[in-house]
Amino acid sequence: MTITLTVNREERIFSGDPRTPLVDVLRDHLRMTGTKAVCREGFCGACMVHVDGAPMASCLLPVGSLDGAAVNTIEGVATREHLNAVQQAFEDHDVVQCGMCFPGMVMTMSRFFQTNTSPDRDEIKAAMTGNICRCTGYERIIDALMSIRTNEATP
Amino acid sequence: MQDNADAAVMNFPRRDARDKLLGRTKYTIDVGGSEVIHAVLLRAEVASAQVLRLDVEAARSMPGVRAIATWEDAPGAHGIGIADHPIFARDVIRYHGEPIAAIAADTLEQAHAAARAITLELAPLPAILTMAQALEKDAPLVHPDWKDYDILFEGAARGGNVAWEATVARGDTDAAFDRPDVTIIDGVYRVGRQSHVPFEPRAVVAAFEDGRHHIQTSTQVPWTVRHVTARVLNIPESQVRVTVPAVGGGFGLKFDCSLEPYAAILAKKSGRVVSLVNSRREEQMTCLCRENAEIRIRSAVTADGEIVGREATVLMDCGAYGGEQVFLTTMTAHTLGGNYRLGSVRLSSRAIYTNTPPNGAFRACNGVYNTFALERHTDEICDAIGMDRMEFRRRNVVGDQDIGATGQVFEGDVLRPMIDRMQALCAKHPNSRKNGQRLDDGRIYGRAMTVGTWFIFVGPSAATVNLNVDGSATLVTSGVEIGSGSMMHALPQIVAAGLGIAPEQVIVKTADTDAAGRDLGVGGGRTTVSIGAASAAACDEVRDKLLAVASEMLQTAPDQLVLADGRVEIRGRPGSGTTIQKVVAEAETRTGPISGSGAFTAPGIEAMPGCAAGHFIDAIDIPVFAVHDCELAIDPDTGQVEILAYRVVQDVGRALNHRAIHGQIQGGVVQGMGYALHEEITINEQGCFDQTGFEAYRLPLAQDVVPIEFDLFEGAPSCGPLGTKGAGEVPILNVGATIGCAIANATGKQVSQLPLTPPRVLALLDGRDEPLALDHISAVWSDNTLRR
Ligand code: FES
Ligand code: FES
Repeated sequence: MTITLTVNREERIFSGDPRTPLVDVLRDHLRMTGTKAVCREGFCGACMVHVDGAPMASCLLPVGSLDGAAVNTIEGVATREHLNAVQQAFEDHDVVQCGMCFPGMVMTMSRFFQTNTSPDRDEIKAAMTGNICRCTGYERIIDALMSIRTNEATP
Repeated sequence: MQDNADAAVMNFPRRDARDKLLGRTKYTIDVGGSEVIHAVLLRAEVASAQVLRLDVEAARSMPGVRAIATWEDAPGAHGIGIADHPIFARDVIRYHGEPIAAIAADTLEQAHAAARAITLELAPLPAILTMAQALEKDAPLVHPDWKDYDILFEGAARGGNVAWEATVARGDTDAAFDRPDVTIIDGVYRVGRQSHVPFEPRAVVAAFEDGRHHIQTSTQVPWTVRHVTARVLNIPESQVRVTVPAVGGGFGLKFDCSLEPYAAILAKKSGRVVSLVNSRREEQMTCLCRENAEIRIRSAVTADGEIVGREATVLMDCGAYGGEQVFLTTMTAHTLGGNYRLGSVRLSSRAIYTNTPPNGAFRACNGVYNTFALERHTDEICDAIGMDRMEFRRRNVVGDQDIGATGQVFEGDVLRPMIDRMQALCAKHPNSRKNGQRLDDGRIYGRAMTVGTWFIFVGPSAATVNLNVDGSATLVTSGVEIGSGSMMHALPQIVAAGLGIAPEQVIVKTADTDAAGRDLGVGGGRTTVSIGAASAAACDEVRDKLLAVASEMLQTAPDQLVLADGRVEIRGRPGSGTTIQKVVAEAETRTGPISGSGAFTAPGIEAMPGCAAGHFIDAIDIPVFAVHDCELAIDPDTGQVEILAYRVVQDVGRALNHRAIHGQIQGGVVQGMGYALHEEITINEQGCFDQTGFEAYRLPLAQDVVPIEFDLFEGAPSCGPLGTKGAGEVPILNVGATIGCAIANATGKQVSQLPLTPPRVLALLDGRDEPLALDHISAVWSDNTLRR
């Protein structure tokens, strides 16, 4: 079976086992290793990608279900010269530690801020529940995200 | 040096953030591609058995298989203190998950298929799954041949299932306990195992190049990997090169050599580049956890709160092999004996063999649970003699010239003023809530403040600094960046301050054992201190060479020259000098390029002779202190505990990067909250862990946490560069203690165990909680030693 999908606006063809999780197609076949497979159970959020615009855990998605889908990964959200607002806030507040959770965190929260322009702290925390971080203890990440909100709220 | 110190203090941002945020950073798990083949381990699925037959012939001819390794390929045994650990089971399986064979094939699936084709015949043996079983009279021995093992460090008592025993005896505790004017307080405590769950599992990529092993690995200890790999392969250490890409979290789990030798053997046999990565399930099920422990503390205390005698026994489960627990027996002397003044003391700290997966090092190691036990015990003392908890601590914490358990003399008053600072921090948020009070929503309020003592693990480090013609400097050490940021923050800041250049101008090379000198590794809060001190010393040499040349160029004595902003200036005359680039260019024509090397090792603080036996270090070179305060609420219907506020006063020596330390405090305290409230590995009748993944092993989530308030205590004595102490390890130290004490205060019940899961808290509240009994630890201290 051949599956055609768009990854970061480029058409890609996959002709292996359709049960292969998307995360393995990205990492092993396309060698795009920014998406991390940490728990493979849908709990940690490190493997988050956007499928047709919606954040999803790529460890739980058999590639066979994605024929014709548009997938965006961490490699596709920004360039080194122009980070997106979430990435920029994380860099400015110097909140990154080991970094393994951040690709997933960026994918979840970038999408969240597209639809929530001025969330409060609790709403941000609720949005982050599906993204686990073992290093940081979260609060400084939330501080960084709160700064995006403030920036947008003050034109 | 003072100018230097001030120049080193800044919120310098980490340089690896951007690539990490873009998904471009290549961790060891990300190394791959068509030239890399894949390995798996065949692991035991029983806890204890005799190996009757191991046959890999059928597997060898399976599709895609490139190499198979078994015990025949790794003759040596390794260990800390005792060489008790072969990397493959040979005749005996000692734990569930123990490697039996390693297979490399073109694909992971092929490697797994070949593993399934290996024939293994076993005869079951009795399994020792608890320390109580291990210490029973006539218990089967996990290592019947324990007497024949190579001893790597002399002086400990060993015997039967006691892998290692460290004891402390100072003063006459018998006389103290016999005094008519003392109250005797006797407490027992127990904690479970904690799993690190680094987001990058242990992983390695090995190659055999020009007759040498090249190991790229996710480790905290490149030189340990080099040493252990050579030891088990029985080859010279010089034949092993270790390099370390970005490491996706360690927390102590990667402080041991683990997967590396298997990959090295397979790479040599196959002639290919071999990747070996623990699946999440393997990573969980063979995690070198913070060990489960059982503790008994007895104290003889006078009515005015003087601790005239203390006796304690700590049983640490090392699992099937001694590992880090052998070393960590040493730390009981300082974590149970380095907080409070003790008139006399006897301690027995024992690593016990069981047929369970080996344990390891985890951020502040046994300090975390010894502090829990000691602070609970301290509150029990206060209740027994009717003294206010803070008053008791204020009177008894060690201060300037007080002696620790092993007779080491402490310098400076640190803990007492830190308690004052904590009270000032708390006073910013006054509230009239009382322990046990019902809040408006019906929940029960609890609060506690605790103290803790830990140490900076020092030991040898080496550094080289090359001053480049463009005025930048390259720092070459064996440091690795595990996520904590020491390599990104403190080290470039120290070098920049030492050379008068911007930290952006300091290139920090990550570990390559072919390029940098030996180092004990990243852990124990030692990077800033040990590697930092070696780096500062290397800068001193560079500075001397630079100033010697500049002195001639500027016709000014070297002591009248200063380095700042990338220039050499005549003191007091800004703009009078020249640029570093010009001096380096001049030096090249005279003597050649400028570089310097520096080294550091433990200064070696003295203990009282004869106090300590079986200890790897008798005194701690850099003690670190912490004071924590926690307010919480308990839901009486569910047993759920919510942290309302958490405060930390931490002894940091000097804070080089406030923002980075904040990140470590927030992250470390949250790991401690997990430990205190819900993280626990349990072991079933098969000797295998129940928590095999993220679903069963619950980690703290964003909604579980609060912003940690903190105050950094600066100025305590430290031999670290610019007066620093490591700040990354210690934030977790007294979290279990503080939450445990707060829950005891809220409920008015005896809290003796961690974690305090909702069912356990409900049982406490309902009075259904059986009092903890540890019958295998005698009230007669000497019965808990081999030297009796
Ligand atoms: S790897 Fe997909 S959610 Fe954890
Ligand atoms: S930064 Fe390490 S897991 Fe989040």
